[in-house]
Amino acid sequence: MEPLAPHEKIFVDSDIVDDENHGEIACHECHGGNPDDPNWKTAHNGVVKDPTYPDATAACGDCHDEINENYKTSIHVSLKPFTLINDKRALKDKPTHSKLELGRKNHCYTCHSSCGQCHISRPDGVEGGFLDGHLFQKKPPMQEVCTACHGSRVQPEYLGENKGVLPDVHHEKYMKCDKCHTGEEMHGDGKDYANRYEVENGPKCTDCHKEIYKREAKNVITHRVHKNKASCQVCHAQPYKNCAACHVGKDKKGLTFFKTKASWLDFKIGLNPLKSEKMPEKFVTLRHIPVDRGTFDFYVKDALSNFDNLPTWKPATPHNIRRKTPQNSNCNACHGNESLFLQEKDVEDKEKRANKDVMVPANLIPRKQKWQPK
Amino acid sequence: MKYFRVIGLAIAFSLIFIPGNIFICQAYEDTQCFKCHTSAKKLIEITREIAKTRPALKSAETAGEG
Repeated sequence: MEPLAPHEKIFVDSDIVDDENHGEIACHECHGGNPDDPNWKTAHNGVVKDPTYPDATAACGDCHDEINENYKTSIHVSLKPFTLINDKRALKDKPTHSKLELGRKNHCYTCHSSCGQCHISRPDGVEGGFLDGHLFQKKPPMQEVCTACHGSRVQPEYLGENKGVLPDVHHEKYMKCDKCHTGEEMHGDGKDYANRYEVENGPKCTDCHKEIYKREAKNVITHRVHKNKASCQVCHAQPYKNCAACHVGKDKKGLTFFKTKASWLDFKIGLNPLKSEKMPEKFVTLRHIPVDRGTFDFYVKDALSNFDNLPTWKPATPHNIRRKTPQNSNCNACHGNESLFLQEKDVEDKEKRANKDVMVPANLIPRKQKWQPK
Repeated sequence: MKYFRVIGLAIAFSLIFIPGNIFICQAYEDTQCFKCHTSAKKLIEITREIAKTRPALKSAETAGEG
């Protein structure tokens, strides 16, 4: 995504006055400041850049009251799962936790969204800037909003930018993010979720692929046999991006930075640590996430002392789906193919305890099949 | 009397048939915010002025994928 020049970020298209819904609202009604002051410096006193974050009630609530009601529970706004997951790895004592919170505030919480940062501008986490001269966008554009943030993993997977890996078949069918991730999902539903897989109106493959378990469906046997045993991605995803060892800090000028080890492409099937009615599969694809014991060492040593509470190989939904993949080309491309499964030898010694529940012991790797359906 | 009637009719006509937001748009366009933020020339001048005084916001130490 091309960065915007500083003046482009704040250039307002005069066509905004023709917007029958928003064109009647004067700038200062949402952003504050003094509209009559000819001096731009003093005119900006009290200006709020994004009046929709963290509370959108004043700016959007009057008209979009239904959305505004649940807006704060959108995980794009609250980042609740991130905080909860991170807290599970952290020490509980107050001084440590407050220093950890400062680190998260400086580095992690900057990656959030808001009404404005989807429908008016690019998100602040990618340096902001109007999408189209402050004209309101009903559907946020994929590459300037969605993959602007989800640009390290989802974008290269979906668009086929990872070397040697094909794009997602849904991208080839011209589907944008909002085809699966609806506005309802993005806007929150009033419930706080512990992880994104619990979100009730989140996408499921079977929302569209309703027929796969029906008698007349193609590959019905394969789909029925693997139902609740393997997630769709286990058979239909390709190798995806993994990261490790993220460390955050401030440089000599006081500017925040992060450093991660080089990322790598991999494909690993593991045991599902989030087994539930909504996610009943025994096997899921796992992605190594950037967290490290020392991620927040700059702020407080050993903040993540309960690091082993959660795996560093985390259930993933790679966005590079294909109908045919190497592992589903025949039964024994997967069954008995140990290299596809996350085993003890694939996990670093210092992370073995954290990943004990997701590593696949040799006796649980599906055995080679003598009979194969035609 | 006829003169006043004509003026009265003209005012009534404009209130009924001219869309309300024309008046609002005019008020909108008169603000300093609108004048400045719709002028690329002004914004370029101002953002250059800001850039001279504001230090870099990004650390050169950032490395890897987030």
